[in-house]
Amino acid sequence: MLAPLWFFGFDSLMEFIGFAIASAVAYQALKGYRLSKERTLLYLNLSFGLLGAGLLIDGLANLIVLLVRFHRAFLFLSAFGYTIDFVAQLLAYGLLVFAYMQQTRNVGAEIPIAAAAVPVLFFEHNPVTELILIFLLVYIATHTAINYNMNKSASALLVFGAFASLSVAHIFFLLFTLAAIFFPLAHIAQLFGFLLLLAMLIRVNHPT
Amino acid sequence: MIPTEQGQASKPSSKYRSQFRIYVDIMHVIQRENNEAKPTRILYGANLSHDRLTKYLEELKNLGVIQENGIDDKTYSLTQKGVEFLNNFRKVESFASAFGFRI
Repeated sequence: MLAPLWFFGFDSLMEFIGFAIASAVAYQALKGYRLSKERTLLYLNLSFGLLGAGLLIDGLANLIVLLVRFHRAFLFLSAFGYTIDFVAQLLAYGLLVFAYMQQTRNVGAEIPIAAAAVPVLFFEHNPVTELILIFLLVYIATHTAINYNMNKSASALLVFGAFASLSVAHIFFLLFTLAAIFFPLAHIAQLFGFLLLLAMLIRVNHPT
Repeated sequence: MIPTEQGQASKPSSKYRSQFRIYVDIMHVIQRENNEAKPTRILYGANLSHDRLTKYLEELKNLGVIQENGIDDKTYSLTQKGVEFLNNFRKVESFASAFGFRI
């Protein structure tokens, strides 16, 4: 299934915005880690750093393909960008899942990271690999929902909304194999998720 | 930057507080007491024994985040560095809490 032609360019733009927001979240987590030496903040930093890097590479790859007007020699870049982004997301969400698991009980770092890395062995765009991303995201979204239910803060709600939106985005990416319209919908849901994270960052840094 | 005890900071669910958390608790008590707290108020507010309080107050003084005032009737107050540290800590705590992480 091919993405709608009219959407090319917009996907890169949305990914660049996602990259900027993911980098801002990673930076905030790094500042927190430097201050407190709390390991979960380091995982958060690495996770969003990876997410940002994946989005940047995929966005750039797609932009190059668009700029050379889909020249046959450059088409491989699109698949390359997607693959890098996909691997980055697997590792990023795997790290977050590990951070949540460590919060509740002591587990070895290698278990969830290895679990997240297994699909790398067959990382072509297919429903199975997308399903693994959805599984990781739903796990994270559930944790953030429980967190919101416990402390009822607006920031916690924004983070829950972000991961719920990212989960929906990947369900749309999965459905893209059935209908082309799901491709732009997935990117819009992904962008919305990152915008919610931006709102959380602004709220945290400028409390009213 | 305030150091933490190895192995404790990574397990916030533990009943033991990290050294970092104790520092923050002491500084919170001082701020709550209008930035002029007597050792007994800090002792009860931060839930510490006398020996540990003395040790931590000394460490915080050396880090430059609190200062000792008076000679006989000692009080402690936050320095400008201490106030800035607490403000930054609140942002970090709020950020971590939004994700459901405790520090």
